[in-house]
Amino acid sequence: MIEGVMSEGLWLWLTLLAIGSTTIMTRGSFILAGEKGRLPPALQRALRYAPAAALSALVVPDLLLDGGGVDPFNPKLAAGLVVIVVATRWRNPWLPFILGMAVLLVLRKGAGW
Amino acid sequence: MESSFRRGAREGMRDFLPLSVGLVPWAIVTGIAMRSIGLSPLEAMGMNLLVYAGTAQLGTLPLIGSGAPLWLIFLTAMVLNLRFVIFSATLAPVFHDHRFMRRLASSYLLVDGMFAVGADKLQRADDPHWRWGYYIVPSAYCWLLWQLCGIVGVFGAGVIPQDWSLEFMTTIALTVMMIPMLREKPMWVAALVGGLGAVLLRELPLRLGLIAGIALGIAAGFIAERALSGRAER
Repeated sequence: MIEGVMSEGLWLWLTLLAIGSTTIMTRGSFILAGEKGRLPPALQRALRYAPAAALSALVVPDLLLDGGGVDPFNPKLAAGLVVIVVATRWRNPWLPFILGMAVLLVLRKGAGW
Repeated sequence: MESSFRRGAREGMRDFLPLSVGLVPWAIVTGIAMRSIGLSPLEAMGMNLLVYAGTAQLGTLPLIGSGAPLWLIFLTAMVLNLRFVIFSATLAPVFHDHRFMRRLASSYLLVDGMFAVGADKLQRADDPHWRWGYYIVPSAYCWLLWQLCGIVGVFGAGVIPQDWSLEFMTTIALTVMMIPMLREKPMWVAALVGGLGAVLLRELPLRLGLIAGIALGIAAGFIAERALSGRAER
């Protein structure tokens, strides 16, 4: 039992190290090489789309799927839409978190959705 | 006579300080989000130190929480950090004549905000001492702010009841990060295809659907850019 917990903790630290290694590899890619390297322009333009594609690939399934299947009427999607509206309209950085969580909690706990 | 390092540092702080205020909620939310998937305070602070990249941290949390395989977590973090390759290529000449340890520190500390604020001035400045001061002092301040506010979130999370669906904070954070990227049409296409691709391909083995969705999204964005610019020329 204790061994299991130990190895789980070790596994987590290895995972964190692996994630951290991507930080150094990407940020250091050209700075550490110390050369005046240039990125091929086509690759540079393609890479611009990586963050938007990746964030969306993480967020959209979480908002659309509830209990394994696509469900267009679920509390997470409703809260997510509120977050999008709030974040596009107001600059306050706290507001999307406060209102998004409020909508989710009211729908889940208050309305029992 | 003030040294050029200090003059650079002062100007860098003046440029970066207003932006850094916006970092506070992110650092706190990231702290809470790390605890919400079950990381201990020590593990959460360790992640802040080892990774020090909000997007990669928030983006990999749901995967860590659901026990995804290490290679998927690694690849996802890599994709979320890929934009730094562009930043690194842009700034490489700026740190060209510095020693390895300084280049290592500059790499670890390279964040979106400092790049957005300072890349132009750094590329135009001739004095390497000024450039070093301008970059490293605000970057170190940003690091300290991220770590301290992260600790506030890590310990603040313990006060919030367990059944409040706190893991949804991660989804909110990732959504809010995505919105300013969607100003151009090809970005929309990349996000739409990436998101729907990940939903439709979710049954693929080894959770390959996520990576496949991202790859499709990047390709779609690139193709859309070409198609749109081709149409504009005609």
